Amino acid sequence: MTTRRLQQIHPPESTPVGAGYQVDIEIAATSQGRWEGQVQLDDVRTTPFLALRDGQQIHVWLAGESYVFAPPTPIARARRSGQPASGDIVSPVPGVVMTVLVSAGDAVEAAQDLVIIESMKTEHLVKSPRGGTVEQVLVQEGEQVERGVVLVVLVGLGEER
Amino acid sequence: MSVFSKVLVANRGEIAVRVLQTLQAMGIATAAVYADPDANSPHAGLAGEAFSLGGSTAEETYLDRRKIIELALRCGAEAVHPGYGFLAENPAFSRECAEAGLVFIGPSPETIELLGDKIRSKEAAVIAGVPVVPSSPMWTPGESRLDGLSSQIGFPLLVKAAAGGGGRGMRIVERVQDLETALESANREAASAFGDGRVFLERYIPAARHVEFQVLADSSGNTIHLLERECSIQRRYQKVIEETPSPALNDDLRTRMAASAVAMAKSAGYTNAGTVEFLVDAQTGEYYFLEMNARIQVEHPITEETLRLDMVEWQTRIAAGKLISLSQEDIRPSGHAVECRIYAEDPYSNFAPATGRLLAWRPPSGMGIRLDSGVAEGQEISAYYDSMLAKLVAWGPDRQSAIGRMQRALQSFPVLGVTTNIPFLIRAIAHPDFRSGEYDTGFIARHPELTAPPESNHLNGAALEIAERIWRSAGPIGGSNMSGQSSAGPQATQGPWRGLSKSTFP
Repeated sequence: MTTRRLQQIHPPESTPVGAGYQVDIEIAATSQGRWEGQVQLDDVRTTPFLALRDGQQIHVWLAGESYVFAPPTPIARARRSGQPASGDIVSPVPGVVMTVLVSAGDAVEAAQDLVIIESMKTEHLVKSPRGGTVEQVLVQEGEQVERGVVLVVLVGLGEER
Repeated sequence: MSVFSKVLVANRGEIAVRVLQTLQAMGIATAAVYADPDANSPHAGLAGEAFSLGGSTAEETYLDRRKIIELALRCGAEAVHPGYGFLAENPAFSRECAEAGLVFIGPSPETIELLGDKIRSKEAAVIAGVPVVPSSPMWTPGESRLDGLSSQIGFPLLVKAAAGGGGRGMRIVERVQDLETALESANREAASAFGDGRVFLERYIPAARHVEFQVLADSSGNTIHLLERECSIQRRYQKVIEETPSPALNDDLRTRMAASAVAMAKSAGYTNAGTVEFLVDAQTGEYYFLEMNARIQVEHPITEETLRLDMVEWQTRIAAGKLISLSQEDIRPSGHAVECRIYAEDPYSNFAPATGRLLAWRPPSGMGIRLDSGVAEGQEISAYYDSMLAKLVAWGPDRQSAIGRMQRALQSFPVLGVTTNIPFLIRAIAHPDFRSGEYDTGFIARHPELTAPPESNHLNGAALEIAERIWRSAGPIGGSNMSGQSSAGPQATQGPWRGLSKSTFP
């Protein structure tokens, strides 16, 4: 059995893939960087797939779902678990920082609004997951942010140790 | 007999493509406008002429009235089609078009103004004898008092923008202590999206269904309805799945609602294609006027599919002063149609918008399948504009066959590089409550299993195995280079490409 080199980045994986599935896969490259083929689901049914490579990511479409795999990196691990380093408040969407509602040193309560991000013409309120103190604000109003970028770092209070 | 010789389409994405197609089929010369990120998008390529608006944000491009009117005049267009969103329901734009000698394909500025104001439009509904939902006066920050505002409404309630649409500037508020934050947030969002930050409160009707009626009205006052669309499958107050006929209406309710829709259009002095939206209380069967949309609706294709007519053609003809040649008796629907909106968003992360490059985009086809799309493979999907990529429409002789065709089409629609809601749509239309037709606007919230990440099973196991083998074949740095692989075994696929071996895992 081969060692896994890639991790599932999307969809978020509820439990890691276990052993024991017996699946036949037939793969052919159809053009540069693209692969297509069939997966044998059981004795009678097959389903097609389409896969491609984009830099350090492999994208696979199979049975209506689009998967993204990549080698484990700190970023991949953070996105995978949905829980980056504790205290880091990340942007849930790509977009533009409209309003920063807190400054370093501010005490914040659980569910308090921290930052407002506009993405695709919709406002997203980024709320504090718990009470604490703002250690750092890492973005400015008007700044473009990617999904997963750290906006605010929180310390103290509700942090369970 | 001709209508216009040239029309400029002041929009982007799928609706710009949709409008351009009809105009071209009518033999009308076309012009498009595009923002910098859309320079290579399908709508710009399809039009006879395409003009740069120079800039990226909506404000400096598709919302820049002066630039658009100048371009329309310079290219010799006689009329402007605004699509939906952007300037479609902007009375100033409609008025400025008229002043510049351009025909605005839509209702008059006065009608847009009336219907764009949710308070005045409700008054028009009351005058027309159409039932309405209880609501509060307008609220503006720093000017209006907060206390007492919600007393006639009760909680939970909705905060809505006076100029709103598509869920923008809308909030549901459960508790009085959350009201001020919600009002302020809705006010900011509305001011940014519509240039009008006024908001108000409205009674929230749980278990409501959202059913709308399409109307057509010409300049001599002929007004007909084109039946209903059921739009209750929504997230963040934006529609996701629509169908016609509505499973919620019986003939009696349909007849009464249609009469209300026509009365509303007449009360508003409406011309061109418009949509009267109602909330239907699933418990009591009562209905309430919500708003009237003075534009072509995103979900118009399902009406086109069941009535076999072209809404954009009617819009264009009516704007050119032609009369509606159809009578109400001619409106006889055939079969059933369903629309799924394909959004660039992550259904497993509260439908957060997704961006990126469309590495693969392979729309399905087949009997009864239609795709209204504004994107192409290779295109960059930015955070500047709306996240809707396309609309997949399925028609069938009955509801079951339409849904069956939709199911097959969704399962045959590979999209890679940009996360979409397709996996969610597949689950939603397979859900027993959708299949039975017994659903309301709470459908998505009520069924968290629709948005839970999929269980790990043989499918993602197989996907991982495919990814691992591609990764090994190309090496960690080699990009898409196939020469590194050496595992082609006896079962390798024949053909011009070197295949990877067929194998079993683990």
